[in-house]
Amino acid sequence: MRKKAAARFIVLGLAGVLSASMLTGCRFGFASDPDDPNEAKKEEPIDTSVDTYPYDSSLEGTEITLLNSKAEIQVALDKMGAEYEKKSGVHVEVMPVTDGDSPYTKVVSLYNSGNPPTMAILDTTDVVALAGEKALDLSGEPWIGEAPGYVTEIDGKVYSLPLCIEGRGIIYNKSVIEKTLGEAFDPASIQTQEAFAKLLDRLVDAGMEKPVSLAKEDWSLGAHQLQYIYETYDGTSEGAQQVIEEIKDGKLDLETYGRMDQFTDMFDILKQYNVAKGNPLGADYDEMAIDLADGKTAFWFNGNWAWPNIAEAGAESDDPYGFLPYYMNNDENDFANSRIQASPSKQVMVDGQYADAKQQAAAKDFLKWIVYSETGQQMLVKTCNLIPPFQNNPYEPLDPLSRDIYEKMRKDEVFNASAIVPNDHWAVLGAAMQKYLADRSDREELTAAVQDYWAEQE
Amino acid sequence: MKSNKRGKDFCIFALPGMFCFFAVVIVPFIYGVYLTLTDWNGVAKVKNFIGLKNFGGVMKDTQFWTSLLLTFKYVIAVVILVNLIAFIIAYLLTRGIKGQNFFRAGFFTPNLIGGIVLGYIWQFVFSRVFVSVGESTGWNLFGVSWLSDPTKAFIALVAVSVWQLSGYMILIYVAGFMGLSEDVMEAASIDGATGWRKMKSIVMPLMMSSVTICLFLTLSRAFMVYDVNLSLTAGAPYGTTEMAAMHVYEKAFTSRQFGLGQAEALLLFIIVACISGIQVYLTKRKEVEA
Repeated sequence: MRKKAAARFIVLGLAGVLSASMLTGCRFGFASDPDDPNEAKKEEPIDTSVDTYPYDSSLEGTEITLLNSKAEIQVALDKMGAEYEKKSGVHVEVMPVTDGDSPYTKVVSLYNSGNPPTMAILDTTDVVALAGEKALDLSGEPWIGEAPGYVTEIDGKVYSLPLCIEGRGIIYNKSVIEKTLGEAFDPASIQTQEAFAKLLDRLVDAGMEKPVSLAKEDWSLGAHQLQYIYETYDGTSEGAQQVIEEIKDGKLDLETYGRMDQFTDMFDILKQYNVAKGNPLGADYDEMAIDLADGKTAFWFNGNWAWPNIAEAGAESDDPYGFLPYYMNNDENDFANSRIQASPSKQVMVDGQYADAKQQAAAKDFLKWIVYSETGQQMLVKTCNLIPPFQNNPYEPLDPLSRDIYEKMRKDEVFNASAIVPNDHWAVLGAAMQKYLADRSDREELTAAVQDYWAEQE
Repeated sequence: MKSNKRGKDFCIFALPGMFCFFAVVIVPFIYGVYLTLTDWNGVAKVKNFIGLKNFGGVMKDTQFWTSLLLTFKYVIAVVILVNLIAFIIAYLLTRGIKGQNFFRAGFFTPNLIGGIVLGYIWQFVFSRVFVSVGESTGWNLFGVSWLSDPTKAFIALVAVSVWQLSGYMILIYVAGFMGLSEDVMEAASIDGATGWRKMKSIVMPLMMSSVTICLFLTLSRAFMVYDVNLSLTAGAPYGTTEMAAMHVYEKAFTSRQFGLGQAEALLLFIIVACISGIQVYLTKRKEVEA
């Protein structure tokens, strides 16, 4: 009898622990989901009264598909497709890339099953990989003239439309800095690594313990930060390509390549003032946005795509947020210290293998509609909240981060360089960067990891 | 006449099943083996035949061997813990305690939650709940997220897998215990067998068929783990918890080396097939009839 009671006690205890952990898991896990795309948001009204776009009535009834790899604009793209269908009679089905799938994997599996999307929003690297065999040559499209410097050419041909400009750098919260220091803050006054470090010191002295948020995500570390070593070579995509080729061929030794050292210098500064310094690999992405909005930190290394998170954390779209450059050294005349990186990141490719002539024509027309119609222009900026690369688009972005990049583009304070790296660059070298971030490796090991990675590429 | 009828029976009963089996298992498998001999990147129209070069690539891929070693450690830990816990709980739950059906259902529930969802739930528990518990109580154990330390992240992975898999195995062991013949048990008691003696000499041999199934299921599931791995740690911190299956997937799809990834997958298949085969052979030999 006593044995039975003991057995019951053990079983009860175990069941209790298990069900309790399950319940708490559920409650916390689902209630705090910050990225619900269906959430109602304030929406900018679109003025559709004026529409001078010449619709092609012969395309009516055509059905095309668009694979979307930018989850945050899924709802907006649906609306855009519906609006276009109303005017042109062409049905645009927007298919999302589900969480966990990479856009490239998705598009490749669709191709292998013989059912690819008519259009696909992809990263530049993916377009380069697919261009030769699958993509439709868009070299004759008129919008190429509207985006000088932002169109990607592959072997002298254009295979994709640059959908938006994205930029990255050190996001600052101006009001927090001014409140902490008790004086006006002019971002343009910081032009060197030293000046930036001094500013951080002053913030610490004024009571802000750790002023920087540093994401642990491999895409942030491996792609957005580490790629500065290629992109700041001379601030152009060609220069980045050249430096990559030289590293690959063993002509350029990273040990002696100045930008590598400069980059780690800057990264060390961010590391030193990291709010999650005690446990940098435990840093939580959503918490970083909250810290920045609440004023626990003043800086966050990220890009303009982080705005929805910051807004969710309580920031308003007229708050003074902006970007500082990723300071590489103490030379005030170095472009890297006064310009931020901004380039067309998402590209729309049209299928040239399976789509019939009518579908291809409809897809081309849809792209033209985005660039030239009054409605398309507005929706690209207001509904999708993107920075348009097209000079004929008169609408200005609405959130402070995109607006900052938009203004810097107009003032020539950005550099347009994007390095085309292998698809696993961010994952493999992101891990190496995480190791460095956690102080589990040193500078030499990090440099060696980059060198080894390139040595393995054919 | 007889053989004619046999042929008809074969066509009616076996052919559809065999067709499905060939279409979804054998053909993709052979195609996969063929892919290991090419340099296909997953999308190109042409596949160049390159012989056994991919297998040479497997040998050189140190990360694959590291992840395979880690998978072995994981399998050993999971197989032992799952079967031990499941066996003990099943034993307790077949002794007629009050509400045992409720407990059986309760323990089985984690198995009904998909691996991906489960991983995300536990990721939240490890990196937020435990950390805030650590902050408010000052316990060093929970001071920082377990998922940011290679060893603790591995322990977390094992713990979550054990939590998920145990329920299923409990069910099989419970069925085994229920099937034990009362006569044999009674006879053993009359002969004076009690406690450990009875367990070792009577219960265990009669339970071996359940053990065979449970070991086989846990072995193959643990070797092929992907979903929990992806959603709980995704290989973090810095790729130290990347298991073999995940590495294979990354090679094929992220690094775009289909041939190499497929070759690694084939190797993994052979290893799992051999080990499970040996296990089934060994435990089957120990099975007895009541």
